[in-house]
Amino acid sequence: MLFRVDFKSGKAVYLQLVDQIRYAAASGALRPGEPLPSIRPLAEQLRLNRNTIAKAYSELESQGVIETIAGKGCFVKDNHSPFTKQARHKLLVEKIDDAWVTAHQLQVDAETFLELTKERLAFFERQAAKETPESKNTNAGGRA
Amino acid sequence: MNTSQPVIEVNNLHRRFGRLDAVNGLNLRVRPGRCFGFLGRNGAGKTTTIKCLLNLLRPTEGSVRLFGLDPSRDEVAVKSRLAYVPDAVAFYPWMTVRETLHYLASFRQRWNGEVEADLLRRFQLDPSKKTSDLSKGQRTQLALIGAISPEPELLLLDEPTSGLDPIVRREFIETVIGAYQSGDPERRTVFVSTHLIAEFEGLIDEFTIIEQGRELITMDADAARDRYRKIRARFSGPAPTASLPGALEVRRNGRELELLGNGNSSQLMEILRAQKPEELTCESLSLEEIFVASRQLKEARL
Repeated sequence: MLFRVDFKSGKAVYLQLVDQIRYAAASGALRPGEPLPSIRPLAEQLRLNRNTIAKAYSELESQGVIETIAGKGCFVKDNHSPFTKQARHKLLVEKIDDAWVTAHQLQVDAETFLELTKERLAFFERQAAKETPESKNTNAGGRA
Repeated sequence: MNTSQPVIEVNNLHRRFGRLDAVNGLNLRVRPGRCFGFLGRNGAGKTTTIKCLLNLLRPTEGSVRLFGLDPSRDEVAVKSRLAYVPDAVAFYPWMTVRETLHYLASFRQRWNGEVEADLLRRFQLDPSKKTSDLSKGQRTQLALIGAISPEPELLLLDEPTSGLDPIVRREFIETVIGAYQSGDPERRTVFVSTHLIAEFEGLIDEFTIIEQGRELITMDADAARDRYRKIRARFSGPAPTASLPGALEVRRNGRELELLGNGNSSQLMEILRAQKPEELTCESLSLEEIFVASRQLKEARL
């Protein structure tokens, strides 16, 4: 997967990576059992301090999104989020708030905003429909 | 990890040249495993400080400790644990690349031949070439190989990429990240002085800005980007003159308003939002922008 880092976003760089990987895992761009890039090449590619990548990975591990297998690297975990429903909602609400604020700033009205979220949902569902058949096949062997 | 001994500790350092105070009461603490940016304009005292760290200059006053040792007393013990890449590198011109590396290795207890071979390949440096025939970029690459192969605990870089072309600069930074940083993280500290700040932005996790030999600001890079933000607003009519407490550098230009938040960006955004702007954006300052604004930022913190 491709990462993007923006020093002007106001979010700590390691958290940007954490979010991107979490979303990739949630959207199917990264599937359970898939490896994450090793720290060194990723640090070189993004020209980031390797501590930043290591910090992102250890944060993801403590959130239960990835697991480290000694000598092999980091892998996306099976999609069982260890958070309680309440905690998951709280995380989501933060994102929704951000989006509402942005909508307000861009003068997008509430109706259009809700319409757009439905459109995005349909988009992700189409993506998932495309990916599921083959992902079942490749994962069955890989995770056994 | 934060309780371990600092790799660099500078206390009240003064260095005078005649009547000029090149360094004037500087304090620094660099913890192991960090990449510390040492930023300042030309003549701010960066190179003088680094020369004091290396015992190339004696402090007029104050103290310098590396790994807890005094570099003027335990010079060999200190220097065997660090490597230094200056901005203008000089080698013996009659030696080849291979001979130069052998020569440098002869002073070192450790020398990682694999790293050396790897980097020679990566930079496509011909080992049989005379150093006098190398370009400025290749000379810096050779100096970097000589600095990283002994696997030092501290890598001191003084304007290492100035005067190099963008590709060599990029490779230089990738090498510091990849070849140098991939070792034991607690024993890989980088101290870099530069004004090509944008290129090192992702690498630097803490920095000091110095001016006239004195510390202006020392901050964690993420914390600094979180604290200092540029807010822009555009209104349908003339920009309102509402009071914006704590805002720095407020600029009004017709319908537009631009200001700098100093840890109070969300409150300022709130005030502006109440004025019903057509557009309202907020972004962090980059380290380079923080550097440019550092004098005002310092005044605002007092």
